[in-house]
Amino acid sequence: MKNSKSIASDEQIIQDLLPRKFKTSGRIWVSLLIAICLVGIYAYYRQLRYGLAVTNMRDYVSWGIYISNFVFFVAISLVGSLITAVFRLAGVKWGAPLTRIAEMIAVAAIIFASIIIIVDMGSPERFYNLFIYGRIQSPIIWDVIVITTYFFISILLLYYPLLPDIKILLRFKEKSGPGLHKFYSFLGSFWTGSHKQYLLSKKAIYALCVAIIPVAFTIHTVTSWLFATTYRPGWDSTNFGAYFIAGAFLVGAGSVVVAMYIFRTWYHLEKYITPDHFDKMGRVLVLLCLLYLYFNVNEFLTPFFKMKESEAGYLNDMFSGSFAPVFWFAIFTGILLPIIILLFKQGRKPLPMFIVGIMVVVGAWFKRYLIVTPTLLHPFMPMHDVPEMYHHYFPSWEEWAITSGSLAGAMLIITLLCRIFPIVPIQETINEHHETAK
Amino acid sequence: MNKENNSRRDFLLTGLLAAGAGLGAVAGCHSKKDPFEAAADGTVKPSGKKVKLLSVDGEVIEVDEAFLKPVPHLPAITNSEARIGIPGKKFVMVIDLSRCKNLKKCQAACNHAHDLNPGENWIKVNPMQAAEHTAPYWEPTTCMHCDEPPCVKVCPVDATFKREDGIVLIDSDRCIGCRFCMAACPYSTRVFNWGAPEISEELASQPYSCETSIPQKKGTVGKCDFCADMTRMGMLPHCVSACPNGVFFYGDLNEDSVTNGAETFRFSDLMRDKGGYRLMEDLGTKPSVYYLPAVSRNFPFESGIENDKKQNK
Amino acid sequence: MKLLNKILFGSLSAIFLLSGYDGFSQAPDKGSLSVAINYFNDNNKIPYVLVRVKTKVNGKFKTVPGIPLKLFLNKDSAGLLIGKVVTNESGEATSFIPPSLKKEWSATIKHSFHASFMGNTKYDSTSADLTVGKAKILIDTVGRSVVATVLELKDTSWTPVKGVDVMLAVKRLGADLNINETATFATDSTGKASGDFKRDTIPGDLKGNITLVAKVVDNDQFGNLSIEKTVHWGSKFVSKANDFNERTLFATRAKAPVWLLFIALGIIIAVWTVLILLVQNILRIKKLGQEA
Repeated sequence: MKNSKSIASDEQIIQDLLPRKFKTSGRIWVSLLIAICLVGIYAYYRQLRYGLAVTNMRDYVSWGIYISNFVFFVAISLVGSLITAVFRLAGVKWGAPLTRIAEMIAVAAIIFASIIIIVDMGSPERFYNLFIYGRIQSPIIWDVIVITTYFFISILLLYYPLLPDIKILLRFKEKSGPGLHKFYSFLGSFWTGSHKQYLLSKKAIYALCVAIIPVAFTIHTVTSWLFATTYRPGWDSTNFGAYFIAGAFLVGAGSVVVAMYIFRTWYHLEKYITPDHFDKMGRVLVLLCLLYLYFNVNEFLTPFFKMKESEAGYLNDMFSGSFAPVFWFAIFTGILLPIIILLFKQGRKPLPMFIVGIMVVVGAWFKRYLIVTPTLLHPFMPMHDVPEMYHHYFPSWEEWAITSGSLAGAMLIITLLCRIFPIVPIQETINEHHETAK
Repeated sequence: MNKENNSRRDFLLTGLLAAGAGLGAVAGCHSKKDPFEAAADGTVKPSGKKVKLLSVDGEVIEVDEAFLKPVPHLPAITNSEARIGIPGKKFVMVIDLSRCKNLKKCQAACNHAHDLNPGENWIKVNPMQAAEHTAPYWEPTTCMHCDEPPCVKVCPVDATFKREDGIVLIDSDRCIGCRFCMAACPYSTRVFNWGAPEISEELASQPYSCETSIPQKKGTVGKCDFCADMTRMGMLPHCVSACPNGVFFYGDLNEDSVTNGAETFRFSDLMRDKGGYRLMEDLGTKPSVYYLPAVSRNFPFESGIENDKKQNK
Repeated sequence: MKLLNKILFGSLSAIFLLSGYDGFSQAPDKGSLSVAINYFNDNNKIPYVLVRVKTKVNGKFKTVPGIPLKLFLNKDSAGLLIGKVVTNESGEATSFIPPSLKKEWSATIKHSFHASFMGNTKYDSTSADLTVGKAKILIDTVGRSVVATVLELKDTSWTPVKGVDVMLAVKRLGADLNINETATFATDSTGKASGDFKRDTIPGDLKGNITLVAKVVDNDQFGNLSIEKTVHWGSKFVSKANDFNERTLFATRAKAPVWLLFIALGIIIAVWTVLILLVQNILRIKKLGQEA
């Protein structure tokens, strides 16, 4: 039985959490993202027309920031499984308001991971060859399979918990407008909230949470194998799978923190995403930072200790050579400084957390760049009998534009998703509210 | 006289002619593919048009026109034939480092024969020096045509493949341009067509052949193909015949013989007497290209430095 | 051997020439060409003539493609035209002997060939001659040695020739492997040249057959003659373990390793079964909602 007070507060919660139309600032933000995407699309048009020659990738650095960006997106997408599945299975209650943000980020990232891999292809018009002639021996095919699977699971994991919220959304036809209302009815008009339905849905969510963890581990491990199955010094590492997963959890958690802060301020969700949430995410983040630091030490210390001839080139380049500024920037900004900041309680307040989140994400992006490029510039054979420009790599404007476009596109998807769906699950918040009220 | 016998005789005779014509067109006195075999295995198909010729004894003989055409106009090999290769063969190359002075004639011949984009080289001649106090030498590298090719392992669409005769080829009509093979190749032998190759439209519109690797296409990978088309005709790869110093030897491991056009050796003799080795044996790729060490050199290392500056500043 | 080197050099310089062709065609002075005629006769069957055209650039000979030449038998007259040819990319052109020359061909024991170039904007006209005697080469084996006999036609009878260098070899891919360390063998007064076969374990075909070849290369009197004989001296070809048809990581998609297929399909089927069940679950929820 609900009393009148809790009904009022339920309505309050609903009012607080319903998706809202964009205000001016929102419109500016969306147009900005669209503008960046359009520049990216123009750059891609040029790439289609003139070939990958418009990039600065050449025979030695045959993978550039596209692949770095792909790895980055795959890494970020892992957060969905972390916040939703790991927290849920571990019985972490406080994570509930963050699950939808995490899932939205995951879906957006995985979409752009697949897009960027097509962008990187020299003959994208032959993409269908992957399905006609697909060869199970190739790690790329493993990646294609596992990305498809992960995308599908992520969509399901976004969809199932949405059903109760859609029932609420359907009550506000006026507010959402006829178009969105139709869309909502299409998605979940059948949800009555009956006990039977609830049980089926609960079971399904549980099954998804169990299923997504191995798939998530696989997607990032397989991505790491794209590198680790080659002979290249710097990639030829048995540590790579675990190293990638640790890094992915870190950047995913960082991006959730950033998103939390932005949505919180933008939509005035201070009541629902509290400093306590930030504090707890801060603890999670510091743990992940330490884990990633451990894998980094593992990845670099042993080859550094031996300094094998084949590996010396790229190691020196990273530690003290031309990549040193980026390398140390990534290590300090992405791992060490966050650890120091987050160890203090003051550092786990919303604003410092937001800054740390950005540091982690930016550091992680450059870390991906360092995983791909320095290794390729230090092959076994000397770089010889090739044009001068093959000896270096700095991305062309087309590459930057396409990469920025993809990042903007991912943010655009997140923005649009939060325009359509509640950022914080409404029904779950109400339930929790009732439980605490008791 | 039965008919079969007649046609067999015809084969023998005309085959000889085809071989003669091919000989004239290309090299001279390399021994050529067994003409009877060439006709019998169907690589040359009779056109039905007969041409009359004079034999050495002054007799007039009728010969099918197809057997008289220059060799490059042999019927095209289908894609599935090109993917299997020539049964019973195992092609190998031997590169004698003691003879190389970085003339890069191999490279020029290769680039010309495959119409490569300017700046792209399938053959690279690297200055190598193992350590500070060891002597530098020139090391030409081609595709190693590994027996356990890492590039083929990672190809997602079977666009690059290993043939029965040991040659690794690329199907540019299928390649999606993911460049995983380039990352996988430890010998950095693969070359990518980043833009549209600068070739004539006529050439570009030709159907692609895996064995000739012509024409190269935008957004696909290319590499040394051991001149599989030449090999099928019983001729030597372009780099082999182009080298004036006889650095490159080519042959069939199953015949235990390699040649540079002027000299022919038993492969096993060369390996034994000159200490042949392969590059990066520890990776387990099992290359088909063998090297003879740069001992008792024909030229000092310095003789190749000037020529190297044209491409490497 | 000499010829081999020449050819090697020739095909090489063709490439060189093509790259530097422009600069050289702009030269105001006409170049002079040197034309060489070679006569070939394989297995004593069908003779043919090969013409090679070169020019001297900066002190080095380079082959010249695209040169039209007329070939004549015996003398420079239209009546005895063998054919009109144009040199190919390697600066070479070949021609067989047409039946129209049957009478003249049979009439003499020596043949002269004449090649003439009319001259064009770049090169002066030039011509070349070659006279070869009718000869044939025979091959035989005695025990484990190879015997080649060179005979020339004198009047109406085949007589042995002394002092001709003969190459005795085993046919290999793209080359001839000498039967022992000696490069060539000279014929004695009986026209015979013989050499011991010392390539004992050389691989032959499935039955151990190898093809021996005897060659006279670039001889002043007889041109190029060659003959082949198949003998049983090789070791039997044993097809080496070839993993082309095996299931390996580097085989084609149809030949993926069983363990890989098993694991991959196992995982895919397991995961997608769960996912399909979950989609079905949505339908069940939907049905429940529509019933209510």
